[in-house]
Amino acid sequence: MSGELWISILVGALALAAPLVIAGIGEGFVERAGRLNLGIEGMMILGAFAGVYAASIAGPWAGLAAGAVVGVVLGAGVNALVYALRANEIVVGVAVTMLGLGLSTYLFQLWVPAGTTNVSVDTLGRVDLGPLSDLPVAGPVLFAQSPVVYAAAVLLVLMWALARLTRFGLQVRAVGSDPISAALRGVRPRAVGERALLLGGTLAGLAGATIAVGSIGAFTPGMTAGRGYIVLAIVIMGRMTPIGIALGALLFGFLQSFSLLAQSTAIQLPSEVYATLPYLVTLIVLVLTSRAALRRHAARLRTA
Amino acid sequence: MNRARVRSLALTAIVVVVVAAIAMALILVAGADPLVGLRGLVEGVSSSPYRVGELLVGAVPVAIVALTLVPALRAGVFSVGAEGQVVVGAIAATAATFGMRGALGDAAPAPAYWLVGAVAGALGGALFALLPAWLAARWGVNVILSTLLLNYVASGSLGWTLRTWLASPENTATPQSDALPAAAALPDLLPGTRAHVGVLLVVVAVVVFELWRRSRHATRVRVFAERPALARRLGATRTRTVLTTMLVSGAGAGVVGWMQVAGVNDRLLGSVSGGVGFSGLAVALLGGLLPVGIAAAAVFFSALAVGAVGMQSATGTVPSSIADVIKGVLLLGVAVVAATRPGLVAPAHAAAAPPPDDGALGADETAGALAASGEPVIAEEARA
Repeated sequence: MSGELWISILVGALALAAPLVIAGIGEGFVERAGRLNLGIEGMMILGAFAGVYAASIAGPWAGLAAGAVVGVVLGAGVNALVYALRANEIVVGVAVTMLGLGLSTYLFQLWVPAGTTNVSVDTLGRVDLGPLSDLPVAGPVLFAQSPVVYAAAVLLVLMWALARLTRFGLQVRAVGSDPISAALRGVRPRAVGERALLLGGTLAGLAGATIAVGSIGAFTPGMTAGRGYIVLAIVIMGRMTPIGIALGALLFGFLQSFSLLAQSTAIQLPSEVYATLPYLVTLIVLVLTSRAALRRHAARLRTA
Repeated sequence: MNRARVRSLALTAIVVVVVAAIAMALILVAGADPLVGLRGLVEGVSSSPYRVGELLVGAVPVAIVALTLVPALRAGVFSVGAEGQVVVGAIAATAATFGMRGALGDAAPAPAYWLVGAVAGALGGALFALLPAWLAARWGVNVILSTLLLNYVASGSLGWTLRTWLASPENTATPQSDALPAAAALPDLLPGTRAHVGVLLVVVAVVVFELWRRSRHATRVRVFAERPALARRLGATRTRTVLTTMLVSGAGAGVVGWMQVAGVNDRLLGSVSGGVGFSGLAVALLGGLLPVGIAAAAVFFSALAVGAVGMQSATGTVPSSIADVIKGVLLLGVAVVAATRPGLVAPAHAAAAPPPDDGALGADETAGALAASGEPVIAEEARA
């Protein structure tokens, strides 16, 4: 394979990883707080729809904002169902995904009836970081990306700081590891859990808008294609740490980019192998991480 | 009637009203008259025998997937892999049917075809369910995620299968297999419709389910979901519970795969699963994990899907995807109602991750030893 192809694959990998990083660090907070958001897929697809709709009116940045707003609203809804009405978090998550996929399709079909041409919106374009982007390999891969890639990197640092350096981050970890002792020390587990999910929801909606507005510039029903669940997998793989999640997202982004571009090359494999490769490798890594987690756990029990 | 029951009924009423209101709002947003939409919905389901047949065609596979998922859900094993298991079952059943034609020529009797197809489908689905079950039991791999990822693997295999070893030699617009031998097709139930005798399988599934519900295994599963530590001492190890319940759901989904091929399409298509797996999960929850509820919920889901097509043609503006929105809202409502009836849905953490005292230390063996020693306290717990 030629060097140029590898560069295109790496450029694509970062672009495909960005939404996963954004939603993943949000879900990292949710799971650190001892909760689980199975509705990420639904939040992402509704965020994607809202993103394209808003972008068609007021430009791509409004699209991103709309995605985040949809995410926070859905997060608040899930909080109300789970805490006020005591609904099962897993069933609610499955329902939010069903609802998100259905509602985004419904609204899209109202907006763009079948048989008419799809609405396309402006994407954010690429940011060219001057002379840096002329560097070989690193230039195109790192310094001439879509702004959402840089936004994901900035968010990663911010969220790392939020988790490590702030009172909220400490409370999230305290509630997640031992809600009862946290409550005894004056932390309100419910409030912390609610805030974590609001943050996770916001980032999930934003991630969906990122997919639609960041590079594609159009909505199609079901366009998130299971990425919401991939997010859940990479959060487990990354052991809920921002760096781990980012590495997991990069791995999946790379495999997806590879499967999209490598089909056109000399390696003769059935196209289905390329299409399933990202999911298969994610599963293998998930197995390895689960196994390692179990081993660590066993070792701790032995020394205890 | 106690207060909890009243609260539960009141919430159910509120949920029904909210769902109806949302449906109406969606129709209004589309700029249509809700009454016209409603009439379209009803006519879409009932206006001709063919439409009634479609109702059954949609409801039967979903009901079977849902019924066979119940043991897993009761145990807190939250599998979303029925979709992929349907696909693998369908591939296995198709391959077995063609294999039998190859071996026996065209002389093979229909019941033999059905038996071979059903068994191959069940085996395919069950084997494909065993992998995530084993991963969960051995290394605590999250079942939701592993089954979900395997769905993509199944769909990739189906695409490859339809392009290569089971591809039809005819030049077709969409990839598909050859038509099955005529003898392998399931007979129609109602003439002039696509409804087939597979509906009898729902009856079989309900009977088996009722027998299971009275069995020791069902009790162990219930105890496992509520008190894993106690269940281990009763012989329901995590490994055994996860493997058996997933095996049942996999076999059920696999049979559905065969049924879709032999009963509905008469050939293997890329769309063979058609969302049956996810609908089955929703219907199992919606039906309260009980046969009557599941049957009703499956018919209701199917009526929504079939009726929404009628609504689309009656109003001209309401997209038929309104059915999916209503299903989602309904499932949210069920989650709320279920909260007032404890024990309806098992706490999913029971089997999703290894409990703190389980794991590589061989807790299963420890549990066996404890059971053998027969601590008196535990015997009392078991009786209570």
